[in-house]
Amino acid sequence: MKKLILSLIVMALVIPATSADARKRKRYEVVDVTSGGSIVGTIKAAEKVADPVMKVETKKPEEVKLCGAEFKMNKYLIGADMGVQNVVVAVTNAKKGKAMPTENMVVDNVKCQFVPLVGIAYKKTKYVIKNSDPVFHNTSIGLMLKGKRSTVYNLALPNQNQVIEKPVKRTGLQNVKCDAHPWMRAYIYAAKNPYAALTGADGKFEIKDLLPGTYKVMVWHEGFGEEMKTIEVKAGEATTLNHTFAKK
Amino acid sequence: MTFQIKGKSIFLLGFFSLLLVGGLTVTSAGEVSAEEAMPGKPVYEANCAVCHGVQGDGKGMVCSNTTTEGGNMPITTFARDFTVGVFKFRTTSTGCLPLEKDLMDTINNGIPKAFMPSFVDLSEQEKKDVIEYITYFSERWEDEDPCEEIVIYKPDYVGSPQSVKMGEQVYKDMKCWECHGETGKGDGQKAAELKDDWGNKIVPFDFTSGDLKRGTSAEAIYITFSSGLDGTGMPSYEDTLKEKERWDLVSYTLKLMGRK
Repeated sequence: MKKLILSLIVMALVIPATSADARKRKRYEVVDVTSGGSIVGTIKAAEKVADPVMKVETKKPEEVKLCGAEFKMNKYLIGADMGVQNVVVAVTNAKKGKAMPTENMVVDNVKCQFVPLVGIAYKKTKYVIKNSDPVFHNTSIGLMLKGKRSTVYNLALPNQNQVIEKPVKRTGLQNVKCDAHPWMRAYIYAAKNPYAALTGADGKFEIKDLLPGTYKVMVWHEGFGEEMKTIEVKAGEATTLNHTFAKK
Repeated sequence: MTFQIKGKSIFLLGFFSLLLVGGLTVTSAGEVSAEEAMPGKPVYEANCAVCHGVQGDGKGMVCSNTTTEGGNMPITTFARDFTVGVFKFRTTSTGCLPLEKDLMDTINNGIPKAFMPSFVDLSEQEKKDVIEYITYFSERWEDEDPCEEIVIYKPDYVGSPQSVKMGEQVYKDMKCWECHGETGKGDGQKAAELKDDWGNKIVPFDFTSGDLKRGTSAEAIYITFSSGLDGTGMPSYEDTLKEKERWDLVSYTLKLMGRK
C-alpha cells in the first residue's frame, strides 16, 4: 500500500514537470574554452554587381528635405579583390562554449534610413532603438520566414531622440522595417550563441574560441542569399571557410 | 526504517524516470503522435480547420473575405496562420505571445468584423484543449516564457470633453493621422502601401466605420495602443505614451467612432 501511495506521489510529481519541460529546448551552456579553434575566411562575389539606387517616395515636404530624393542602397558592397561586406557568418549549432557578448544592438533611424544596415544581436542583450530624425518612424523587427514574417517588436518612435530598449528574446535572421517609410530596411542576426561575425570591407571574418567539433555555419547576404556549410574545428587550429557567391 | 523508505523512493523515482524517458523517446521518434493524442485536435478539426487549415497555416477551405475600409479601399481578410506565431489581439506587450485568456476572449467573442464566429458554445474544457492544440503550430510556444498582462484600469474621465481635447492633441503629436487620416477615415498619407507579416495588403483602421475588430470598448482601444497589433503596421505606444495620454487618446478615438 505504501508502495502504491509512494508511486502515485512520484508519478504526480515527476510526470507533469517532465512533460512540460519536454517541449522546452536546450539552452546554450557557457563553459571554459582553453585552446579553442577558430573559423576564418573570406566571402567573395563571382562578379561585380552594381549597387542599386532606391527612390524615396514621400509626399511630405519636410521628409523630402530630410530623406533626399534617392540613395545608394549599399546592398552590394564589393571590394577590389571581390570581398563582400555585410555578410553574416554564424555557427548555428554550437550548444556550448565561451560566454555570450554583452554589447547591445543599436538600431538608429537616421535621415530615413536604419543605421547600421546589417548587425548582430545576441540573446539576453538588448535592442536599443533610437530615432535621430524629427519625423515619425516605427521600428518593426521581424523574423524572416519563407514568404512570411514573424514580428519580434513593433514600436512607435514619434519623437526625435527617443530611445526604447527591448530584450533580445527570439533568435534567427530578422528584418527591420518602418511602415511609415517603405524604403527603409535593415537586417539583424539575433544569435543564440556567441559564434557569429559580420564580414568587413575586404570580405574577411573570424570566429574565435570554438570548442573542437563539427559545426553548421550559415553564410547570409541581403542580395546573394543564404548558404549552409559544415565545418570541422580542431583544438588550437584555424579552419578556413571561404565562399564565393554567384549572382542570383 | 527511514533509510528504507528513502531507498525505495529513489528506486521508484529511477523506475518511473526510466519509464518516462522511454515513453518520451517513442514520442519524439514519431513527432505527430504527441499532437495526435491531444484532446484539442478533434475540437480544432471540427470547428477551426475549415478556415485555419488542418496544418494551422490559414489555408482552410474558406479562408478569405473582401470588404472595404478607409473610404473605398478594398481589404481582404484571411484566417489567421498560426504557424507564424504572431497574434494581434493580446493583453501583453509587443513581441509577446498572447495569454490563454486572450485566446479565450477571441474564441468566446469571435471577430465579427473579420468573419470569425464566436465559439462560446464549446465547453470550457474544449476551449482550453483547442488553445493548447493551437500552440503546437508554432515553436514560439516552446521557446518563450509567458509575458505579464498589461494592467487596464479605466479612469472616470475617459470620454469627458477635456479628455477628448487632450486626446486630439495626442493624435496630432503621435502622428496617428499619418496613417489613420486627419478625420480618422484611415486615409492618411502613409496608408497606401502597408503589408502584414503574412504578406497581405492591409489598410489602417477607419474609425468612422464604427467597429474595431477586437470590440469597441474603451478598454479594447486602450489595449490596442499599448500592445500594438503585432504582425501589422500598428506599433505599440506603451513605451512612448503615459497611461493618461493613452486614455485621452481613447476618448478622442471614441469620438471619431461616433461612440461619445
